[in-house]
Amino acid sequence: MDAYLIAVGTVVLIYALLAIGLNLQYGETGLINFGHVAFFALGAYASALLALRGWPLAVTFAVAAAVAAVAAIPLGLAALRLREDYLAIATLGFSETVRLMLQEERAITQGVQGLPAIPKLFGALGGARADLAIFVALLVAVALAAWATHLLKTSPFGRLLRAIRDNEAAVVALGKDPARYKIQVFMFGAALAGIAGAFYAHFLTFITPDQFVPLVTFYVWMSIILGGVGSVRGALAGTLLLVAFLEGSRFIRDLLPGVAEVQMASIRLAVVGLALILFMLYRPQGLFGKRGG
Amino acid sequence: MTISRRELLATPLAAAVAAALPRIAFSQAGTTFRIGALNPITGAGSPYGPGMQKAILLAVDEVNAMGGAGGRKLEVFAEDTQTKPDAAVLAAKKLIDVNKVQAVLGTWSSGVTLAVMPLTDEANLIQMNVSGAPAISTLDKKDLVWRYQATNDRFGAAFAEIATKRGYKRPATMAFNNASGIGNTEGFKKAWEKRGGKVVASVVYEPSRPSYRSELQKVLAEKPDVIVTGSYLPDTTIIIREWFQSGDKNAWIIPGWAANPDLVKALGPEPCEGLISVDSVSSESSAAFKQFDAAYNKAMGRSALTNVYAPMAYDMVIVLALAMEAAGPNATVAQINAKIRDIANPPGTAVSTFAEGKAMLGKKQKINYEGASSKLDFDQYGDVTPDFGVYVIEKGELVRRDVVSIPADYRP
Amino acid sequence: MTLVEVANLVINGLVEGAVIALPALALTLVMAIARFPNAATGDVMTLGAYVAVGVQGALAGAVGGQLFALGIATVVTALACALVSLIAYQWIFRRLGRAAMVASLLASIGLGFLIRSLITLAVGTDQRTFSLPLVRAWNFGGVRLLPNDVVIAAVALVVLALVFAWLQYGRSGRLLRAVADNPDLARLSGIRSQRLMWLLWALAGALAAIGGVLLGVKSVVMPELGWEFLLPAFAAMILGGIGSPHGAVIGALLMGVGQELSVPFVGPTYKIAVAFAVLFVVLMIRPAGLFGRPELVR
Repeated sequence: MDAYLIAVGTVVLIYALLAIGLNLQYGETGLINFGHVAFFALGAYASALLALRGWPLAVTFAVAAAVAAVAAIPLGLAALRLREDYLAIATLGFSETVRLMLQEERAITQGVQGLPAIPKLFGALGGARADLAIFVALLVAVALAAWATHLLKTSPFGRLLRAIRDNEAAVVALGKDPARYKIQVFMFGAALAGIAGAFYAHFLTFITPDQFVPLVTFYVWMSIILGGVGSVRGALAGTLLLVAFLEGSRFIRDLLPGVAEVQMASIRLAVVGLALILFMLYRPQGLFGKRGG
Repeated sequence: MTISRRELLATPLAAAVAAALPRIAFSQAGTTFRIGALNPITGAGSPYGPGMQKAILLAVDEVNAMGGAGGRKLEVFAEDTQTKPDAAVLAAKKLIDVNKVQAVLGTWSSGVTLAVMPLTDEANLIQMNVSGAPAISTLDKKDLVWRYQATNDRFGAAFAEIATKRGYKRPATMAFNNASGIGNTEGFKKAWEKRGGKVVASVVYEPSRPSYRSELQKVLAEKPDVIVTGSYLPDTTIIIREWFQSGDKNAWIIPGWAANPDLVKALGPEPCEGLISVDSVSSESSAAFKQFDAAYNKAMGRSALTNVYAPMAYDMVIVLALAMEAAGPNATVAQINAKIRDIANPPGTAVSTFAEGKAMLGKKQKINYEGASSKLDFDQYGDVTPDFGVYVIEKGELVRRDVVSIPADYRP
Repeated sequence: MTLVEVANLVINGLVEGAVIALPALALTLVMAIARFPNAATGDVMTLGAYVAVGVQGALAGAVGGQLFALGIATVVTALACALVSLIAYQWIFRRLGRAAMVASLLASIGLGFLIRSLITLAVGTDQRTFSLPLVRAWNFGGVRLLPNDVVIAAVALVVLALVFAWLQYGRSGRLLRAVADNPDLARLSGIRSQRLMWLLWALAGALAAIGGVLLGVKSVVMPELGWEFLLPAFAAMILGGIGSPHGAVIGALLMGVGQELSVPFVGPTYKIAVAFAVLFVVLMIRPAGLFGRPELVR
């Protein structure tokens, strides 16, 4: 049971990193990013491709974060010009374009065949110990990300971000340039997603472009909605809830003998959809968020 | 399937209890042999997954009705891969870690198989799949992975052989943009060029588009006499419909999972007239397929011809069971694995059911199981080297007109 | 590229654009008045297609001719989806009226998932097709025109024409257009909004349903049918400018044709990326879209 739980835990933590990044982007600055999976993908591919060429993982992880952060710049610039609903769609289009590029540029990414045999993180430890080590490394990464986010929030930078979210005109009137700060936030959130991608690639040891679809972004949004926007604790709780539900439904199915597996998948989707609707109607602040925050 | 469900309910409790006690080394010689059925119930593979799962269950029931294999009954734990590598990895971990399966059967997409192989290899379990990617052969270092579907290269070679035999000179290809679709058409191209020919046009098209007219036009502009596809049912439906309406007269060679009775059902017999459907075939007189088809039809309400992977999944269990018989009681996974080629490859008395095989093995005879999906002769990589049936759709029915053999040692 | 090839690509693009125009119109009206991108539109399209397939199948043989049955099926599904859309508004989106845009967007995504899962629970995931006579294409010296495509485009155009006529001359239609054009002014002049909202949502549902049928006729009906078209429809809406009905249609046609024409240069895979690139560029230059009102932008 432990190996399975550790695997599930690993997935939870990877999603948690994504959620913390998105939470920062939306929760702190109100930037609606529906293309988060693009940074996840770029981080995964960057790290995997370099590792397959023999680069040490410590370096590839750093590169993954950097690549994702740089890719966030055009999006950050777009955020300046676009109203929020346009931004949502534009970011979605961006992530789909990234996915298509990963699919088409076969010479670099091996396209739809994907990248098999990616070096496993801590692979030298062998099997179960490597899995445990990955889990622990992720725990550390998530803790660091949470701490960094907390620092950001309580710092003058964080106060400025909230001011931008609440009343941009006032901030401009004070002579500050919101653009720079928004872009920096975008980049930081993207970097976190990039690191999550690197962990993902070196955990699964096999990635293909069609794993990086908009649905992943929606799941991350679901997590921060469930847990409460603007709260790191919320992001963690929401991710745990979401993955627990998605995985737990395996076991639930066995308790309902009349239900076939095909139907279970539909039921799963129905519950996710219903949960989204109900949370928006009755508890938009999520479990840990503040009302009106 | 009450056995596995009760088992499953007990498992989390048992696991919790077991976690509290000092770990006992899990002996391979339990009272049942646990099989993990890991199929694409949802996602891109969903047209095939439920049928594959059902086929596995049918085979297990058949084996258990005969008293089990190697003195043990078979037990199945089923999970959904969602046709996604990451979901499949979690499902596989659950099967391996929680359910303690000893074999993982029925993965469909190459991505899923490639993601799951490291896990099953790590745990020294048998893995059986129907994926096409060449990488699966090369990454199968421990010889624990068995592929029941011809590789993309073999399919491509079969297409080339068929095109040559029918006298076509100007082939074009259309490939669904995924590993399998492109693999098949690339395999064709390699085989065709090896014969000194040239492919006049190739197009790779995106999934889930409403229309493929531009892609079709691009190919038809070069006036091919045959179009070879690596495609699936929904896109094939759209393409053939648009082709028929545009009035061109070229031939088509399409994989059997796309050109099947459902295609005829969707389009009607006229557009499908003369389409060539290619699939691996069991030997002419095989009772295995007939018997399986009857049971499958009863359980699913449709013929196994609508799901080429279902007979393969069925064969997976039968092969495993026969290997267990051959390895004897209390055999380890490794010992069972070692017997697979013994019972599936020639030489030996040809058998086509588990009952026959078990009886022969009881008399210490060497057998050669010819399966419902193909003759199941595994090469050094654990890949099947089947013959290919050339089915032509005539008046809405798939009629087998020819059989094509690709040498077992074929390399592109 | 020869003229014949260009002509064929343009025709393909126009037909696809005509089909996308319907959901794009639904999206733009809802976006302008309810102020959020309704991501459930795609799955309402899917629902529309499935209901129509069911109705056509049920009517098979009982009514004369496949096309006639399809016509009835389309009307039935338009009404059914209008109702579904109304219910969604009444129970969900009306209550979220004062919430942040993201709330409605996420709720609409959830609604889409719900609709899709109910469809697959009810009828499974196998593909379905409409029963239609297959007719050969007309060939004008290499330029091909499929009669089915002509019918599809014609239906789309008729529906659009009807809606436009209503928006232009119908009493409630004019009110709706006024509200879409300038919601604040409309509120100030006291236009009664509840009935108007019902009309809006019913219309959006019906348009999506018909769009779904047309799409299903052209291709095959599967659970992901509409979801795959959401992004192109959104892109068309934005290109044309939010709140502009004719903008949505022109945007859709431009997108359709633009995508097809790009294929010889970038290949079929990047088709959708081209749509976004175009969209991005247009938005950078004209943030309100081609026909949108600049005041609606930040």
